[in-house]
Amino acid sequence: MDESEDVPKDFIKLKSEKLSVAEVSELVNSPYCGAVSLFVGTTRNNFEGKKVIHLEYEAYTSMAETEIKKICRDVRQKWPSVKHIAVHHRLGVVPITEASVIIAVSSPHRVESLEAVTYCINTLKASVPIWKKEMYEDEYSWKENKECFWANSEK
Amino acid sequence: GGERLCPPQVSVLYFARSAELAGLRRETLRVPRQLTALQLWEEIVSVHPRLAAIQDQVIFAVRQEYVVLGDQLLVLQPGDEVAIIPPISGG
Repeated sequence: MDESEDVPKDFIKLKSEKLSVAEVSELVNSPYCGAVSLFVGTTRNNFEGKKVIHLEYEAYTSMAETEIKKICRDVRQKWPSVKHIAVHHRLGVVPITEASVIIAVSSPHRVESLEAVTYCINTLKASVPIWKKEMYEDEYSWKENKECFWANSEK
Repeated sequence: GGERLCPPQVSVLYFARSAELAGLRRETLRVPRQLTALQLWEEIVSVHPRLAAIQDQVIFAVRQEYVVLGDQLLVLQPGDEVAIIPPISGG
């Protein structure tokens, strides 16, 4: 493949089905890239001594996709050598140990993709309209990312 | 100039805690064409008083741009989307 045919692509998906690390990683493969960096966010079974049964996610889907596209555009400005970016986020119920978000970035050398993946997840947590409800045995809690500037930080 | 425009019907979307308090996810409301973000919030709270409990923790998304509940003047068109955005927790 000529490198001019390997056009940089963004793969953004919000879906209720189980996410696949292999699938997301495969999306960003490129013969011109020597590095694929991944972040996988999974459901933890506890929070502040309470047992977590599962997580439930909802999203302002159209705006979430637009905000993720903005993150991809910012990544390409900061790390121009980044080739492909994939962000898959699950919606609905996510059982313990399953993935709620997978981010994959490819680049010719490893530094850019490692840094870009970190930037993606940190910025997603600050700006993408997705909400997580943590289900405990007797109650639930709407979570608030500390990165969110309009959350009440005194909680 | 000076043409009187009809107050537009906008789509209001509720998410997470705000959907629980309002008891619904989506509705159309007729609102003034020009008003501050805070005034728009007050219009919505007048329809759903239970939302007052989260006033300090929400912002709007108007036509998919975030707007804090303050003095910013909004000019709304018929069919505009206004979303109530509680603190986010994606990822």
